[in-house]
Amino acid sequence: MAKSAKIPQPFAVPIGLVPTPLQPRLEALSQAKAWAGWAGYITARVLDNVEFEYFAIRNQVTLFDISPMHKYRITGPDALAVMNRLITRDAAKIGIGRVGYAMWCNEQGMVIDDGTIFRFGEADFRLCCQEPMLTWLLDSAWGFDAEIRDESEAIAGLSLQGPTAFSLLAEAGFGDAVAGLKPFDLDEVEPGIWISRTGFTGDLGYELWCGWDGVLALWDRLWAAGGNWGLRAIGGEALDIARIEAGFIAAGVDFQPVHGAIRLGRGRSPLELGFARMVDFDKGHFNGRRALLAERARGPKHHLVRLDIGGFRPADGALLYHKKKKEVGHVTSGIWSPTAKRNVALAELRAPYGGAVKGDLWAEIYVNLEGQWDKRLVPVRIEDKPFFTHKRARATPPNRF
Amino acid sequence: MSAARDFDVIVIGAGHNGLAAAATLARKGRRVCVLERSDTLGGMAGNFSPAKGVTAPRMAHLLYNLNPKVARDLGLGERIPLKTLALPSVALSPDGNHVVVEAGKARFADGRAHPDAAAFAALHDRLTRFAGLLAKMSENPPPGLQGSLLDPAKLGELIRLARLGLGLKRLGKVEMREFLRILMSNAHDLLLDEMGDGPLAGLLAADAVRGAFAGPRSPGTVFTLMYRMGNGGNVALPVGGMGAVAEAFASAARAVGCDIRLGNGVAGIEVADDRAVGVLLDDGTRLGAGAILSSAGPMPTLKLAGIRHFDTEAVRRLRHHRCKGSVAKINLVLSGVPAIPGLPVDLNRGRLVIAPSVEYVERAFNPAKYGEMPTAPSIELLLPCLSDPSLASDGRQVASAIVNFVPPAPDGGWTKARRNALLKTVLGVLEQYAPGLSGLVTQSETLVPPDIEALTGAPGGHWHHGEMGFDQVLTNRPANGMARYRFGVNGLYLCGAAAHPGGDVTGAPGRNAALQLLRDGVA
Repeated sequence: MAKSAKIPQPFAVPIGLVPTPLQPRLEALSQAKAWAGWAGYITARVLDNVEFEYFAIRNQVTLFDISPMHKYRITGPDALAVMNRLITRDAAKIGIGRVGYAMWCNEQGMVIDDGTIFRFGEADFRLCCQEPMLTWLLDSAWGFDAEIRDESEAIAGLSLQGPTAFSLLAEAGFGDAVAGLKPFDLDEVEPGIWISRTGFTGDLGYELWCGWDGVLALWDRLWAAGGNWGLRAIGGEALDIARIEAGFIAAGVDFQPVHGAIRLGRGRSPLELGFARMVDFDKGHFNGRRALLAERARGPKHHLVRLDIGGFRPADGALLYHKKKKEVGHVTSGIWSPTAKRNVALAELRAPYGGAVKGDLWAEIYVNLEGQWDKRLVPVRIEDKPFFTHKRARATPPNRF
Repeated sequence: MSAARDFDVIVIGAGHNGLAAAATLARKGRRVCVLERSDTLGGMAGNFSPAKGVTAPRMAHLLYNLNPKVARDLGLGERIPLKTLALPSVALSPDGNHVVVEAGKARFADGRAHPDAAAFAALHDRLTRFAGLLAKMSENPPPGLQGSLLDPAKLGELIRLARLGLGLKRLGKVEMREFLRILMSNAHDLLLDEMGDGPLAGLLAADAVRGAFAGPRSPGTVFTLMYRMGNGGNVALPVGGMGAVAEAFASAARAVGCDIRLGNGVAGIEVADDRAVGVLLDDGTRLGAGAILSSAGPMPTLKLAGIRHFDTEAVRRLRHHRCKGSVAKINLVLSGVPAIPGLPVDLNRGRLVIAPSVEYVERAFNPAKYGEMPTAPSIELLLPCLSDPSLASDGRQVASAIVNFVPPAPDGGWTKARRNALLKTVLGVLEQYAPGLSGLVTQSETLVPPDIEALTGAPGGHWHHGEMGFDQVLTNRPANGMARYRFGVNGLYLCGAAAHPGGDVTGAPGRNAALQLLRDGVA
């Protein structure tokens, strides 16, 4: 047999979606073969069946691969100044060993993205977000004594969510380390493994972070401990139902990250998204502050609200009307909530609707009854509270099952 | 924070724009202080003494387009004495057939008619008419698209735009079409469409790009030519040197009560609650004010206040502010008047331009693009003592040369050897037109872009505090979102040549900034 000639390969650039380290496990579990792209990586929309996966979130415990998330490390003497220049809330109020939700804006006060900030030290932060943010961070840090590092491919993440999550962690040997973690706490539980009590479901849950190389072993360790606790691997679809129930907004769905919006006027401000409490006008200058001050003075142009929608047909994308006549907005995320047993949605309304005017709002829903379309106007009601909350989400230490 | 307000307004920099701003504000009753780091007035429009008994314009040496409204408001030439002499322009030719331009007409220096005289006259007339239209835009902040129509300031802006449109209409269909055709084109194409290449076309090409990091083939150079011709296209020599212009601006400012402090550099701008409230001087003292106007470059101003007070987008735009200095200034003291073969003696006092062709000017730009030293630069030479003998005693002469183009930062930096090499190159070029000139040199000073920056604070040592390309004029000067003099922080304004309308000794940025501040009612 002729010895095959060694052909020099050009610099290997992956073509198409790239597997995360967990792909071998997910591939073996996947019945649905419903793959999708997430920041260039392969992610599962559904592994088995979306109902099974959703109910596992609310009644058992679930594992979801969040490694594709963009992760950036901000360190150096001016790290806090850079963070405070970037985000609208006061980064100094995020304690060391804590995680904080934050938004950041362009000069017009429109949200570039939202995400979580992990504070490891006085001058050591990690930003986790949906959108690529490296150049923006580098530009925000220009002239400051701070280093920005893209950790997206160095740090992998697992989201372990559900009422039995703590019991599972205890069985996997993390019990002592996480028992004291309050919501939004962060700790290095073993060398190289960080656990934060965070999640996207509004329920008890944790996120586990480790090196890209170690995540497969971590998955196996959790999987081995999961049998008694009903552990199920899930895809993004089930999680999406849970996050809408919890009232969490998603970038690219409930608002358009402004750097990705081409058309004028598609950006939304934190005030419009209902996050005025996340904007600290007293902390000094931050990006978009002047524009947001002006917006606060004249009032937002839109209101993102939570809606209870009549009937049981999911209202995703439905147009909203005032007095059944005037079109005033649309649903950005709509589902039938299996746990709340209600038809719920997040929706964007043009001011003053959703702000000063809250009554007499209607959703236009199209239903297909065995091939025949029917249009219905159903009443909607603006809700202040999330559609799903549970006290176990906050109990510390969490109850075991 | 400290509420002590020592002045209503503090102006950073006593260049002519800073002084114009100060005088404009003081005329409206504001208590104004002008702080200047160096010990001389005027920035680029200043004099210096290269030798005992000799006064010379250190950088800029001629007036092209001093804004008439600035002159009127400040009383220049009336309450404040300022005498200027109209100068002919001479396009030197290596073969001795020099071309003279005076009052919009071209001829050979020996009196013969120039074959392109008619074409030149028509072009000159057209360009000054177009330039006059554009010049209207330099007397106000650039038009913006934001704001309500009900806002009276906005309405005024629309009226001004409508007037510009009407002015365009009045040109007539053919001329309006011509205006729009050439406005954004390049000087090379425009000039060579109208006349043959030679010293006359070269003169206009050199005027189009003087101070710019651009050659005649670069887009936008017709606009820069028109900008220079905004005041009729004439060239004037201030009696007493450029420093006399600075002195006149300063006198106008002092006459209305401005406190001008030389040798008082600003080390920082104090910001409290998103408002500029004072400055910190180099010597550590603090002065409080209701507003700060800065005639420093945009990036230095931003750094004085602190980057953290500005949005990331603004910083990003200013980081990319194009301000590569391309001009060297060579000041020579001569022991006598150099002879220029082919040029009648009475024309030696003219503005002598070495740009024998458009092609020559374009080629002069080439090495600068690649960080290389010039071999055949384009030069604007002036012998001011011939018009104004008071500048030098004992029959000595000053030769003031503006040299285009030099690299902003050659490989290895501007060493002493490079400066000497540049001087040698320039003297070599001058020798071709004025043999024996180098033998008359008793003293010389070579200023390259970093020197100009160090002496005046002009960003990059740029002649116009920033390139005058379409990406950096009107609503984009110095950058999108900062064109209306307001500089991010409340009460902080830009008033130098980096702001609209731009460079040259016009006084317009200073006056416009001051008027904007008054309209905003911040001090």
